[in-house]
This record gives sequence, C-alpha cells and structure tokens, in this order.
Amino acid sequence: MKRLLASTLGILAVATAGTAIAESKPVRIGYSIAKTGLFAPAAPSQINAYDLWAEQVNARGGLDIGGKERRKVELIQYDDQSNPGKAVRIYERLITVDKVDLLLAPWGTPHHIAVASVLERYKFPMVGNTAASVQLREMKPGNIWFSTSAFPDRLAKAMAEMLKQSGVKSAAVLTNQLPFGMENKKLLIPELKKAGIKIVVNTDYPPNTKDMTAMLVAVKRAKPDAVIVHSYPGDSVLYVKKARELGLNAKYQYVMVGPAIGFFRGMFRGAADGIITLGHWSQFKNARSKAFFEAYVKKYKQEPDFLDSAETWVSVEILEQAVAKAGLDKDKLRKTIATGSFDTIFGTVHFKGVENAVTKTGFLQIQKGKIHIVWPKDAATNALQPKGPWPK
Amino acid sequence: MDALLSGDLLFAALIVGALYALVALGLNLIYGTMRLLNIAHGDLIMLGAYASFWLFTLVGLSPIIAAGIAAMGAAALGAIAYFSLFRRQIARPGPVEKLEANSLLLFFGLSVIIQNLASLAFTASPRAIGYLDQIYEVAGVPVIANRLVAVAIALAICIAVAVFLRLNIYGLAIKALIQNRDAATITGVNVERVQLLSFLLGFGLAGLAGALLSMTEQISPFMGFPFTIAAFVVIILGGLGNLTGGMIAGLLLGVLETYGVALTSPSYRSILVYGVFIAVLLYRPQGLLGGRRISR
Repeated sequence: MKRLLASTLGILAVATAGTAIAESKPVRIGYSIAKTGLFAPAAPSQINAYDLWAEQVNARGGLDIGGKERRKVELIQYDDQSNPGKAVRIYERLITVDKVDLLLAPWGTPHHIAVASVLERYKFPMVGNTAASVQLREMKPGNIWFSTSAFPDRLAKAMAEMLKQSGVKSAAVLTNQLPFGMENKKLLIPELKKAGIKIVVNTDYPPNTKDMTAMLVAVKRAKPDAVIVHSYPGDSVLYVKKARELGLNAKYQYVMVGPAIGFFRGMFRGAADGIITLGHWSQFKNARSKAFFEAYVKKYKQEPDFLDSAETWVSVEILEQAVAKAGLDKDKLRKTIATGSFDTIFGTVHFKGVENAVTKTGFLQIQKGKIHIVWPKDAATNALQPKGPWPK
Repeated sequence: MDALLSGDLLFAALIVGALYALVALGLNLIYGTMRLLNIAHGDLIMLGAYASFWLFTLVGLSPIIAAGIAAMGAAALGAIAYFSLFRRQIARPGPVEKLEANSLLLFFGLSVIIQNLASLAFTASPRAIGYLDQIYEVAGVPVIANRLVAVAIALAICIAVAVFLRLNIYGLAIKALIQNRDAATITGVNVERVQLLSFLLGFGLAGLAGALLSMTEQISPFMGFPFTIAAFVVIILGGLGNLTGGMIAGLLLGVLETYGVALTSPSYRSILVYGVFIAVLLYRPQGLLGGRRISR
C-alpha cells in the first residue's frame, strides 16, 4: 500500500522536503501495468524497478532536463487489469488528459504491441522493455524501442549453438502453450535439427497444468542430454519439483521463465543449481550492474528479476540519458533515442530500428545460488557448467 | 506402455486426487447444507497459503502447524461472512434456485475483493516456501517429503470429516440438513447452529488446504481460481452435496488427469476433464455417485 501511494502520488513528500529545486514543477511520467488479472504476478519486478529509479533520480536532485535544469519526477500509474485494450485507453488518457511529460512501458508483449499504435498516433516516444517476440520487429520504428535481446529467433540460434558446443546429441522439448513459449518452440526445433541434435520428446502442455508426472516419466525414459522447458513461473516450479523427484538428470536443463525471479531460488535453494534460464544480465556484469543490484536488494529485501527488472532498468537509464541530452521535446527526444548510445547495466546500448543492436542474446545459469551469464562466451560472467544430479 | 504401470504415475494420481478431494470437501459442505455456491472457495485457499507463507517466513513456523492456524483464521472469516452476508439470504423464503444464484453473485464479489486486497497487501509477486524438500523413497517411488506430508494430512482430514459426519451428533445433523432441510427442522435439528457449523467447517477446510498447498505450489493472490474450478468439477462429478461421493470423485479426477495425460498428451487434459464433466452432467446429472434425490 505504501509503495502504491509513493508511486501514484509521486515523491511529493520528498519534493516538498527538498530545497529551492523543489519549487519547479515535477516531471510527470506515466505508465499502466497489470496490478490485477492474469499478468499481475509478473508486474512487481517492473514496478519495483520504476519506483527505485524515481527515488534515485529525486535523491540526485531530480531529472536532468537537457542540461538546463533539474526537476523531480512524479510517477503516475494506472492498473490495466492485464488487458491490452485498457492499456491503450490509459496511454491515450496519459497523453491527452494527464498531459504527462514522459511515458514508461507496460508489462508484456501484447501490451507493448497494443500501446505502440497510441505512441504512433501522438508521436510520443517510449522505450519499451518487457516484451519479446519477432512480431516486434515488424512494428514501425520511430516511437518505440526495445531494451531486450530475448528475441525468439535469436534465442533459438543461441540455444542450438550453446548445446552443440556443449556436446549435446539429443534433447527433449516441453512447451507451455502460451504465445511466447510456442513461438520459441517453433523457431527452436529447426535450429536444433540443423545443429544435429536429435529431438526425442516434443510435447506442448496447457498453461493450467498442475502435474507433469506423465510428461517427465516419458522424458526420463528417452534419456536426453538436454531438456528444454519453455515454461512460465508456475510450471517452472512444477518442472523442477517433478524432475528432481523422478531423478531426471539431463546434463543441461533449461527452464525458461521463473528461475531468474527471486522466489524461485528461495523455494529450491541448492536444488536450483545448474538450471539454465532466459536472460542476458547479472550483477557481475559491470560496476553499474552491481550498484543497481545492491540498491534493489537494499530497498526491497529481495533480488531483482534478472530478466524483467533488468530490462526495465535499462529502459529508464536510456530515457534518463536521452532527456539529459534532448530535454522533453518529443522530436528531439525521438531522434536522440534512435541515434544515441547509452550507458546501461547491459553495457553501451544503441538501437537499430526498434531493436537493441548491441546486447547479445544469451542465457543465465544458477551457480551456487547466484545467477551468472553463461552464454555467449564473450559476455559470460562464468563458464557454462553441466548440471550435476539433483540433490536428494 | 509400461510407463503406465510405474509407481510414479500412481502416486502422482493419488497426490493430485487427495488434494482435489480436500479442496472440494469444504465447498461441498457449504453447498450441501445451505445451497450456497461458494465461488470464493479458491481465494480462501489462497489466504490459507499466504498465512502459512508469512508464518513460515516471519516466525519460522512449520506449515503443518500453520495449517491449524490458517484453518481457524479462515473459519473466523467464515463467521464474519456468515453473519454479515449470508444468514439473511438463507433465512429469506423463496425458491432454492434464487438462493443459489444470489449466493453465486455474493461470493463472486467476495472473491474479487479478497483477490485484490491480497494483491494490495502482499503485492502480486509470486512467493514460495522451501520446507521439507528432501526426497524419500516410498515403495520404490521417490517422493518429496512435503508432498507426502500434504497428501497424508489431506487424506487424514477427509477421513476425519467422514467419521465426524457419521458418528458425531452435529455431523449427523449436517447430513440430515443435506438430505432434507424441512424434515431436519421438524425433527428438532437446530438449523441455524448447524448451518453456522458447516459454514465454519467449509471455510476452515479451505484455509487448511491452502496451508498444505503452500508447501508444494507457488503462492500468488490469483492462485485460487483454478482450485475453485477443480472443486466444482469434483463436487458435480461426485454429486452435489454428496460428501463421500465428492471425496471419491476427487481421487477419480486425479486418476483421470494423470493417466489420461499419460495415454494421450497434456494438451488433452482439459478436454478429458471437461469431457467427462459434461458427460456426467448429461447422463448422470445427480453425479457419478449421487443417488436419486428425495424430492424437496
């Protein structure tokens, strides 16, 4: 409740306690996010990162506007109830009624795609974050960009390459029937075949699956070198529990979404070691990353989501630096984001079209309870290790 | 095919089934005695899971003990809901269909409120407990200890409730009320008190089930709805208001899901479950195990 107040009413308390700078009007920054509904469990990773950023900016004396002045920021947040149609109306309202100065991104691919049309109509630039689909590339560049590098076609190539180089000859592929899982699977299967990896099991399962025994008994019998699970947090938990219970000891086990979120390692502790997951960031990447990680842990008493929180953070780093250069003028801002280079926790980032042109698509692995980048090799913070047997 | 004979599947079926049976039991009690359709049942399970999570995280209390506390907490919530919302609804004269429809709406509202309050209070971040997670072998089948404990408690509770309904005077009164409300009143059953009792029991069982599930599932404010649906399927399969039937149907559903998926593919899970569900509604609307209803 406290956090909600802080984010909706903004950091007004801080602003009034401040000095002369507090006199100027705060920069109003709006966004909508799934506070309720299907995607609500995913949203806190992103909301936390936004709130932390606003707090840090205000502690620094405010947002640097084109090098001319510093103004405090005030976040305006609405609940889109996990409904992309609602998000569209909210972004319209933010632009036309609330007259915000800047926009932040909502959560998830469908919402990004939905609000892109609003951005286009009002020529309002926004740096996106938590979206990943090859569809994004088909969007008209100009007012939206994506900080992620987790595009499923790039992921498929990277996965096949990583497994091939690790000596994997056979793989089982299990896929949650949600769009992101299915898109990844569709693109991965041909890449695995190209890499000479035999697919011994290829099964889809519905999102509301409550038990994976039958599926994993079949996988265990097929004895694959690698198991690739295109899962979401709920079924990631099911998979790890059941794979451990059955003693499904494939050397490489990829669990797509979930292991990078704090609760997962809390639940499994040492048993999660060796699991590979989706992501391209870790606190060991650079000094900036370490600072972000530590500030996040200090404020929220939990680790950030290595995928969503990190991508969110990159998007606000880019926005902040672009505003420092261009001010709040939309045309200048658009040009600056589209052509500039930005220092982020992913390293230096610039865009090509809508896509992050620098950050390499990669994977993370849990090693001794910590998350490391293990792929690609030249971005790795630790080497990829085959997974040992599950602890009893 | 020999995968079908493995103990792993049998055990998985038993675990899923026992939890379904327990989840459905509370719902069935409330429906059976009062004809209230508690669509917020899953959300009470969610609250139970959170109670267990916080007790474990903040004071290190075992979820097994927390289950008792969660049950009492949920029952207390039940008392509040009963006196503030439902007592008058039940007392109001009118056809039973109207009561069912009204209760459905009331509980739906309650469900939305509970979910969103939980989301505000706890945030929607998924949470989980790592408790009793070593693996044991039971009859050659490896099982994580917490699932074993959850299923043992679920079965024990189901049996205890069955015994209570058969041997205890209040249990018998609940059964009498389920069978024929008017006749029960005439024979001197204190309807008001028995209703309150089954309301508390129904809510309490949901809280307890939630605490057990907190050991094995990811916890979030929106985790409850699938359980509500599963519970409805179970009680309709078993016969509305038929408590023993519901428990057996829970186990059957576990078997159907696990073996059905093993024989076909996980994509067929919903088709199988709802296929059987619809077939039962069409051909045996009184439930697989329900006898013919005595007219009311």
